[in-house]
This record gives sequence, C-alpha cells and structure tokens, in this order.
Amino acid sequence: MSRSWKLWVGGPVLAFLVLIPFLELQGGYLQTLGFLTFLYITMSTAWNILGGYAGQTSFGHATFYGLGAYTTCILTLRGIPALLTIPVAGMIASLYGLLWGYPCLRLRGQYFAIATIGVGEATRLLMLNLDDLIKNNSLLKGFLQKGVLTGGATGLMLPTPPDIQAYATAFYYGVMGLMFFALFVSWRVKNGKFGLGLFAINMDMDAAETVGVNTTRYKILALMLSAFLVGISGSIYAQYVFYIDPQTVFGFPMSIAMVLMPIIGGIGTLIGPVLGAVFYIVVQDRILTANLNLGLIKLSLSSLHLLVYGGLLVLIILFEPKGLLGVHHRFNIWWNKRKRRSLAATEKA
Amino acid sequence: MLDVKNIHVSYGDAQALWDVSLAVSRDEIITLVGSNGSGKSTTLKAISGLVPLSSGEIRFEKTRIDRLHAYRIVEMGIAHVPEGRRLWPGLSVRENLELGAYIRTARNVKKETMEWVFKLFPRLEERISQLAGTLSGGEQQMLAIGRGLLSKPKLLILDEPSLGLAPLLVDEVLETIQKINRQGVTILLIEQNVTRALSLSTRCYVLELGRIVLSGTGQDLLADERVKAAYLGL
Repeated sequence: MSRSWKLWVGGPVLAFLVLIPFLELQGGYLQTLGFLTFLYITMSTAWNILGGYAGQTSFGHATFYGLGAYTTCILTLRGIPALLTIPVAGMIASLYGLLWGYPCLRLRGQYFAIATIGVGEATRLLMLNLDDLIKNNSLLKGFLQKGVLTGGATGLMLPTPPDIQAYATAFYYGVMGLMFFALFVSWRVKNGKFGLGLFAINMDMDAAETVGVNTTRYKILALMLSAFLVGISGSIYAQYVFYIDPQTVFGFPMSIAMVLMPIIGGIGTLIGPVLGAVFYIVVQDRILTANLNLGLIKLSLSSLHLLVYGGLLVLIILFEPKGLLGVHHRFNIWWNKRKRRSLAATEKA
Repeated sequence: MLDVKNIHVSYGDAQALWDVSLAVSRDEIITLVGSNGSGKSTTLKAISGLVPLSSGEIRFEKTRIDRLHAYRIVEMGIAHVPEGRRLWPGLSVRENLELGAYIRTARNVKKETMEWVFKLFPRLEERISQLAGTLSGGEQQMLAIGRGLLSKPKLLILDEPSLGLAPLLVDEVLETIQKINRQGVTILLIEQNVTRALSLSTRCYVLELGRIVLSGTGQDLLADERVKAAYLGL
C-alpha cells in the first residue's frame, strides 16, 4: 500500500523534475530553483553524515563550500578544464577537513561546535586577505597571476560560455546526478558498518570505544566524506554563477544553512535533509522576493527569512526534535487512529 | 595473562591510583573489592585504555598495552563491560550485539558467537528486535555482557554487573559469569557484594583510597579480620 503510494507520487515528481528544462516554465525560473534545490539537498545530505549520523554539529561547513568554489575558479583561470577541477575541489575540501578536523574532533559536543565557528570565520578572513599576504612574501609571489590569486573582497570571475542556455541545462542534470550520488552515499553509510559505528559514537562515545570503534578515525572519515561532497557542490556553484566572493561562499550564513536544513527536515535520517533543503529553498525564495505594502511604507522582507528560520529552529527543538519527518510521523499516527475509530463506528451501525 | 605493574593514574590534579599492581592468570576469576572512590573503576578503565596512565605499565600476554588506543585493546582480546551498562538505548538488541562484534576478527564469527550468547541468555533472543532502552534492568545487564562477549574476548572485564539488580537477578548474573568463565574466558570484575565476590572468585584484590591494601584467595580474605571488620560488618 505505502510502497505503491510512493511510486504513484514519486514517479510523476521525478518525471516532472527531469522535464523542467524542456518546459521552459516562467523563463527558466523553475530550472534555477531546481538547480539550487538539488545543490542544497546535496549539501544538507553531506552535512547530515557528520552532524546527523555521527552527531558532530559543524558550523564550519562553509569552509568546504568556499574552498571547492575557489579551487575551481583558481584552476579554471589558469587554463585547466573546469570539469576536471570538480574532483580536485572535492579532494582539497576533504584534505582541509582532515587538517582542522583532527584537532577539533578531539573536542566533544558543544565545544566542537564552537571550535568550528572559529574555523569558519578564520578561513573566511584568510581568503579575504590572502592576496595581500602573498604579495608581501617574495617566495610565494609566483602564485599570483596579474597580482591576483583569490581576488580579496572582490572575488573571482569566470568567463561566460557562448550558449548559456545549454550550459545551464547541462548543469541542472549534472547537479541532479550529484544529488542522487550524495543520497546513495548517505544510504550506504546509514545501512553499513561505518554508519553503525557513527550511530554508536553519536549515542554514547565511551561505549563505542569499549566495543572497539576507533572513534577518532571514524569521526574524521565522516568529516572528510562530508567535506568532499560539499566541496564538489561549491565547485559546481561557482561554475554555474561565474562569480564568487568570500562573503557568499565562506560566509557564516552558508554554514548555518547547512545546519538548519537537516534539523528542519529530520536530523540523522536519510530523507529528512531532503525535506529540509526543499523547505529552506522555497521559503528563502518566496520571502526574498516578497514585499510588504503598508500604504505609505514599503517593506522588503528580504532579510526576514533569517527570522523565520530562527523561530522555526526554536519551535523544532522545543516541540519536535525529529523535524518535519517527526511531524509526518505524528500525523500518520493520528490519521490511523481516526481511521480505526470511524471503522469501528461503521461496524457498530 | 594480564600484568599490571605499579600504575599511577590522575584525573587532572587529583590522583586516583597509587602504585597499583595486579596479575590475572588464564581462566581465573578475579574480583576487585573496595568502597566507593577507592579506584576500582579507574583500574579497569586504565586496563582497557579509557584513561591514560601517568606512570607504570600494563602488559597483556607479554605485549605492552598501556599506550594503545581503546579500540586496539579490544582487538587484542580484552572486552570491557562498563559501569551502568552504557548500551545504545535507541538501537535494537540485535544492533547492540552487532556493534559488540565490531572488530574484524569477531565480525567473521559473529553468527556462532551470537548463538553462544543466546544460549547463555535466552531472554536476549526473545527480545532481539526490541529497543535496548525498553529492556528491564536485568535484561540490559545481560545485553551489556552479551555485547562484551561478541568481541570474542580472552579477558572479560565487568564493572559492577550486579549494580541496581534485584537479589535474585544478581545470583543469576553471577552464575552466568561463572559459566562464561568455565567456557574459557578469563574474568576480571568489580563486585560490591563482598561475601558473594569472595566466594565466587579465585583471587581478590582489596582497594582503599587508590591503593591495593590486601590480596589473596577468597577463603583467605573471608578469614581476614580486617576484611571482616571493614566490609562484612562482623
């Protein structure tokens, strides 16, 4: 029953998503929205491997996103084919995860979370000022091209391809594939030995050690895997928008988004991060473009989406720690109870 | 089999163990006895690598293990059933047991080991898909011991397996521990009930304020005036 139900809804939705680029609805608006949704689902799913399965809340995942984006831009501007830079971006993000994960993951619980905020900010500031630092160092000067490596606060720009329509469509399908890949990885992790170890770490780290889980290595591996997927996402984002700057890709809001999405949807589950990401993108998109007209005063609601997430986070943590999936579960219980009651009533009559 | 030599352990500025030495031979049941805060748990944690030593050494089958990570010590054949059981309440009985067989050598023989554990604790098989958090206290203790056994240990370390159990269940758990011992697993345990501990074990160590003050066979200690006065209220 529930399986066929899933097929009936899932099939058409998937078909619709595949067909979006051909329908040209609302001048490509839906296609862009779809691209962003797939991208954010990938990141949400990636964050969930470390934050949901292993229970290590990271507020520093924008570092991976940013590094992925910058790796691609820097390499592409030096003549390396953009597609080749995608795996490199993932690997560099992953290695960066190893670099800061090794010391930070020795901290537990909220102390790890606090440390990751510091790492995120330090990385953003470093990228902002890297060019000046290199300029003043005679050994590293060679890395600058026309005096630019990261471009400081101005960021970097990629050349635009001639047929932008086809290019965007290719990326739409590309990132859709990436999303399915991320979901596959997440599913494999969740149902495998690795995931079992992560769950054990999440629920009781000392107990995990006593049964022989190498907790440090597992947490670092989860972080690196997570970072790899987020790094690729950053790389693809950069190629899609042709322009990046530290504020956008390394900014704290990016890190926050990756924390929020899985929590909204249902942390530690496979589908929760997907729901959360869809919700996040739709809310952001609706509110960012909304205007409140109060007669004389026109209010732009563009910064209001942060308020919505903040309020939502409070509500979720207070009332439904399992997020949207938890709400769905409660609804199911309530619905079944109602059905049984009405069934009993008809039998009586 | 296990040789603990002159170990000192500190938590920050507070020293918990002073010059503790003890030895466990194959097939023995050794109990540690002592009042609260005497360092029993710390001794066990030091052996299984959960707390670092400040000096001294620990050897297991002639190999030094005091610098190894906890997971490496499990791989060498020491399983630690921690105080308060420390199960994963949100996972099923089966998943908890599977995590016990996490190391590679144990994983390969998981099926047989699980059957053995079910023979020891039939109750666990009945409750195999139940969440560990919904088990009774006694069943949780059985699961904790079963989880320890799934790593196929040569030495099983039990930190107060009878804690918080009804008297009847205490007997049952202790009898099972003896049974496990007869099937070739060496046992090192903490037991608060001194009379029982002494009659159950081959040898005992008595700890006081982080030092070993007495040791000997159960019978010896039962006859000892100091033990009688301090622990048996005689």
